[in-house]
Amino acid sequence: MTRHDSPLIRLEKISKSFGSVQANQDITIDIEAGKIRALLGENGAGKSTLMNILAGTLQPDSGKILINGKVAKIFSTKNALDAGIGMVYQHFKLVEAMTVAENIFLGQKSGFFLSPARMAERVTHLGKKYGLEIDPSARVSQLSLGEKQRVEIVKLLHRNSQTLVFDEPTAVLTPREADQLFLAIRQMAKDGKAIVFISHKLGEVMEISDSVSILRKGRVIDEMPISEVTSKADLARRMVGREILLDVKKKEMEIRQRVLRVEGLSSHDLREITFDLRQGEILGIVGVAGNGQKALVEIICGLTPPPSGSVTILGQSWNKFFSGRDDGGALSYIPEDRRGLGTCLGLDMVDNFLLTTRKSFSKGPWLKKNRARKKLEDLVEAFKIYPKETSNLAGQLSGGNLQKLVLAREFFREPRLIVAEQPSQGLDIGATEELWKLLLTARERAGILLVTGDLSEALAMSDRIGVMFSGKMIDVFSVHDADKVDNIAMMMTGVGGKGIGQ
Amino acid sequence: MYRFKITKRQETSIWHSCLIFFGALAISLSFGSIILALQGKPPIGGLTYLFKGAFGDLWALEDCLIKGLPIFLCSIGVAIAFRLQVWNIGAEGQFAMGSIGATWLALVFPDQPQYLLLPGMMGASMLAGALWGLIPALLKIRMRTNEIIVTLMMNYLAIYILDYLVYGPWKDPTSFGFPMTAQFSPGAILPMIGNTRLSLGLWLCIFFGIAYWVFFRFTRLGFELKASGENMKAAKYARIPYNTLVILVMVMGGALAGTAGFVESSANLNRLQPSIMAGYGYTAIVVAWIARLNPLFIALASFLLAGLRVGVEHLQLDLQVPAAFGDIMEGLILLTVLASAFFEKYRIGLRKPA
Repeated sequence: MTRHDSPLIRLEKISKSFGSVQANQDITIDIEAGKIRALLGENGAGKSTLMNILAGTLQPDSGKILINGKVAKIFSTKNALDAGIGMVYQHFKLVEAMTVAENIFLGQKSGFFLSPARMAERVTHLGKKYGLEIDPSARVSQLSLGEKQRVEIVKLLHRNSQTLVFDEPTAVLTPREADQLFLAIRQMAKDGKAIVFISHKLGEVMEISDSVSILRKGRVIDEMPISEVTSKADLARRMVGREILLDVKKKEMEIRQRVLRVEGLSSHDLREITFDLRQGEILGIVGVAGNGQKALVEIICGLTPPPSGSVTILGQSWNKFFSGRDDGGALSYIPEDRRGLGTCLGLDMVDNFLLTTRKSFSKGPWLKKNRARKKLEDLVEAFKIYPKETSNLAGQLSGGNLQKLVLAREFFREPRLIVAEQPSQGLDIGATEELWKLLLTARERAGILLVTGDLSEALAMSDRIGVMFSGKMIDVFSVHDADKVDNIAMMMTGVGGKGIGQ
Repeated sequence: MYRFKITKRQETSIWHSCLIFFGALAISLSFGSIILALQGKPPIGGLTYLFKGAFGDLWALEDCLIKGLPIFLCSIGVAIAFRLQVWNIGAEGQFAMGSIGATWLALVFPDQPQYLLLPGMMGASMLAGALWGLIPALLKIRMRTNEIIVTLMMNYLAIYILDYLVYGPWKDPTSFGFPMTAQFSPGAILPMIGNTRLSLGLWLCIFFGIAYWVFFRFTRLGFELKASGENMKAAKYARIPYNTLVILVMVMGGALAGTAGFVESSANLNRLQPSIMAGYGYTAIVVAWIARLNPLFIALASFLLAGLRVGVEHLQLDLQVPAAFGDIMEGLILLTVLASAFFEKYRIGLRKPA
């Protein structure tokens, strides 16, 4: 075969299983130079496994990877990088204490001495070319998440990677940053690079990609140029196999007693935050990641005490509420960090289910594990968690399925205050729809604080919206306040809001 | 050129694990024979001698069990703390305190009947051991001290207290100046099982071994311990009181090591003397690790390492091998067994030249 009639990369009949779970089965996908290919699929469909195989972190059981028609041996991430395959992960792999330029040149053979001026010049050049400008001399620790992502991308461009894989790249970006990223991605494609774009946001997929491959249960079930897709709903149907609407019907709720009051809360990351939350409403907290949302959630959920100001939960002071051994299931926290905080990856699904529900399954000193297992088996059915065997370790679940396990657990407790932090991140569209329904049902008896980076989610779910920037609550307003809603994107960058105009 | 390829194993079988364990044991023994050879002793003959000395006859097997009892109790104790990833290396000191507690009661109330004195001694030893575990636990949660260092220093403290007592106030006036207490009264000595030289301490071991298993498998507290040890952040998230658990594991571990001190002083030595500190508390740590905190494996490993001690005593007597050989072997076994855990999770193969 000559160079021209074979795709830049062909994954040929890739299969991979983990124990009894067939993660990839006979997957064949062509990734062409100059084209943007979206990879879609429900949670656990096998996208991550496939991309990890491409990136060299996993080895396939069978099948091969062809680059320009030749079999490539990719046994490690280094092999993959040398072969021109680069990944932009959701979690960045940068050295925080070093500068942007140093990070970009890190670990590459380019002579013993590095000239800072030359490094800076290269970074600026690449940044200009793709519209991904960053200050080469800035320390990475001082960058926002969006800027860090740029460093990751420029690093790959500097290495001259010919294939770039983006795994949910817009999750950490403002709408404006996302637009810039899309321009950059298009430019890369124009330069002849092959792009793989993974996202659960179907609108983005429609906007950016040239073609789509859809995975389900480890197989490619459909493949089409994007021109054949008529609408988001069409794409969702092809992916899930049923109609998905994602427009939720919100019942009018009578707002009842207050479940959370935050008053004058300040800390290292927070400035004078004041708001309250009542049973029957969803308060959406939006903002670019890293503007104090995490610190706020950690205080409300009892992980760190409030340094100053007051937090009142269900009528009790913070100290009183969190002094007890258990909250009786009144507070549910769905954390963004599912792997590090919300679960024990080395324990099985039942143990993870028991993590916050253990009180409901104990009798005296004994833990009724069999009863918990039976209950969980029902929930596994209801939440469509895959794989179904509850003896699996949590670490064996895909990101989306792990999140479903956390959701199943936290909603099982029938809480009165729910703090949901980026709950739909990593969930496929079907699961997102289920999650939204769950939140709306839970709203009938609980107050919900929904911290999200996804504006469409905030708008669809919330009764009120609070915008955070740089540790401050810029404004809190009703979703029916059209003027302010139109201004959210501005407020997210610190402009506008309650008399904080610039 | 061929290169090594490391791949993750999907499933592991118990037979495979056994094979790897005994493989590691064999490797450490072959290192041991090299050391023997370097000393000019017969390498293979020395090992056979070691084995025969340890497991060759009933008398030797009894010796292994006798030495295995305190190791087992201490090991169960440290294993509880290890489950929580609290590094209690203070079993040695807790063991010393336990023996002091038991001895105190035996010396003060020598005339009490056995059915009162023995439970009392056991209670006193558990209390004393628990106290020795509680101090580092409190320091850890209140002042954020490192429990490894504190428990280690507490070991020396306890040993010096023991020395002070047997050289000073508790010294038997009829002992011709030897540092030891008077022999316990019959009521303070644990009875033996049948005609063996094994004390009722064996039943205690079985009881505590089963209790350990039940605790981690069926109780809510055991579950909370396991979860906290697995992921401390998740434990905080789930509102499991970590500090309380730290105190709990250190107190329980101390009480168990203390019980070992009671069994050793009452049943084995019938008095308190410095030779009671034979390093069981340190061997217990090795045992807990090579047994991966599993109670059944802890029992087996306790027996094996007790066997090593018995065997080395024979080598010492008959081949004039220094006593340190036993410590070296213990270290080698720990290293090889820990390193071999890698082969349970991963497979190494050759891959063709790229």
